[in-house]
Amino acid sequence: MTDQGHQTNQDRKEFSDEAGSLWRIALAPSVWAGHFVLCYASVSLACVRGLLPIEATRLSLIAVSVIVLVVFVWQGWRAWRQWAPERGHPSALSEGKAEDRHRFLGHATFLLTLISGIATVYTTLPLLLLEGCR
Amino acid sequence: MPFRALISPPLAGLAAAQRLSFQRIRGRGLRTTAAALVLSGCSGRQSVLDPAGSDAQALFTLFVSLLVGAAILWVAMNGLFYWFTRRSTGTLPERSGRMLILFGGVIAPTVVIGAVLLWGLSLLPDQRAPGDGLTVSVLGEQWWWRVEYTMEGVEGSVVSANEIRLPTGQRTDLRLTSDGVIHSLWVPALGGKMDMFPGRETRMSLEPVEPGIYRGQCAEFCGASHAWMAFMAVAMMPEDFATWLEAEAQDAAEPQSDAARRGLAVFQAAGCGACHTVRGTPAVGKVGPDLTHVGSRLTIGAGRLGATLDNIER
Repeated sequence: MTDQGHQTNQDRKEFSDEAGSLWRIALAPSVWAGHFVLCYASVSLACVRGLLPIEATRLSLIAVSVIVLVVFVWQGWRAWRQWAPERGHPSALSEGKAEDRHRFLGHATFLLTLISGIATVYTTLPLLLLEGCR
Repeated sequence: MPFRALISPPLAGLAAAQRLSFQRIRGRGLRTTAAALVLSGCSGRQSVLDPAGSDAQALFTLFVSLLVGAAILWVAMNGLFYWFTRRSTGTLPERSGRMLILFGGVIAPTVVIGAVLLWGLSLLPDQRAPGDGLTVSVLGEQWWWRVEYTMEGVEGSVVSANEIRLPTGQRTDLRLTSDGVIHSLWVPALGGKMDMFPGRETRMSLEPVEPGIYRGQCAEFCGASHAWMAFMAVAMMPEDFATWLEAEAQDAAEPQSDAARRGLAVFQAAGCGACHTVRGTPAVGKVGPDLTHVGSRLTIGAGRLGATLDNIER
């Protein structure tokens, strides 16, 4: 393989990594939004329409919340490693190099995952504190 | 006085409610006078700042805590702003700056909002806790309130309108619904508000602590007369309430005087019974408020006017 061919292959790999990073940035907020809609929709179906038993619905949603939070912890840990804060703050590395972009995406993903986690906990609190439809 | 026939002899309830009201004013005199000097206008029969029920007290404590917390935050934020723009204008070490943002921008708001959310949510179950046996069903009309009392283990119900009486020291269930448009029932001195939807039943419960007369108000815009859609909520000692409910369950009293008999005749001749019910008379209309014992109510016209003969005559 020529040097040029090697270079192109490496570029392709980097590009596909960064494309994956872009998807991962959107993962946490999307999961939070899905969780939010799921909670409101199922509690409405249980309490307004009476289509689901409220206690089972409540416990299932709490279980879903736990799974979502586990996914966020995993995702946050990956993003933290991508960000690698021990190698300096990203703002100090704003020369537009591929390395900076890579770490910036990790930084953004980490913060979005953190805020999505907090929002998911807030959405879950009513499920823990309010037991029925009253 | 054409409508005197409708006015039953003053029932125990009215006298008791007025007596209690005076006692309440006397008993709370010192406290309210002191508060009135500082916060005139915060007390009164329709004020969340003058709670007389356990739910209103819980909300009041939450409100005061939020207010004090907000004031402290406001002073602290402005203090920091002043400090960093006027007093200590040099640059912060990057580490300190980052810690300030992490603590002030992420950790502190998350913890404070989380704590307030936890507190607020923990209050909600109490505001809807099951009652101790008495249920008051309220149906919102444009622009008045149908009221019906049922007691656990007792057959039948007592129908009334535009006034809600509750025993103190116990929790009463309120089952709410509406006809036509959305209303909301709110007695600020006793507890939170709850919307009333056509075709749905919502529930809340109230536990008055101090006997007295409080004012309730429709809290959801429901049309032209929304602002006038009110009622009196009378909190009575349980024994007074039992006496009142027993009297309220009776048919209207027979007219005793000539004027009262003439009033009944006019009421019947004018066709008032097509819309109004007066139990014990041929008037069985369901369109308007039930007028049985209307004379013992504290107001007429859904809280609009005092229940005086002059107002009834209008």
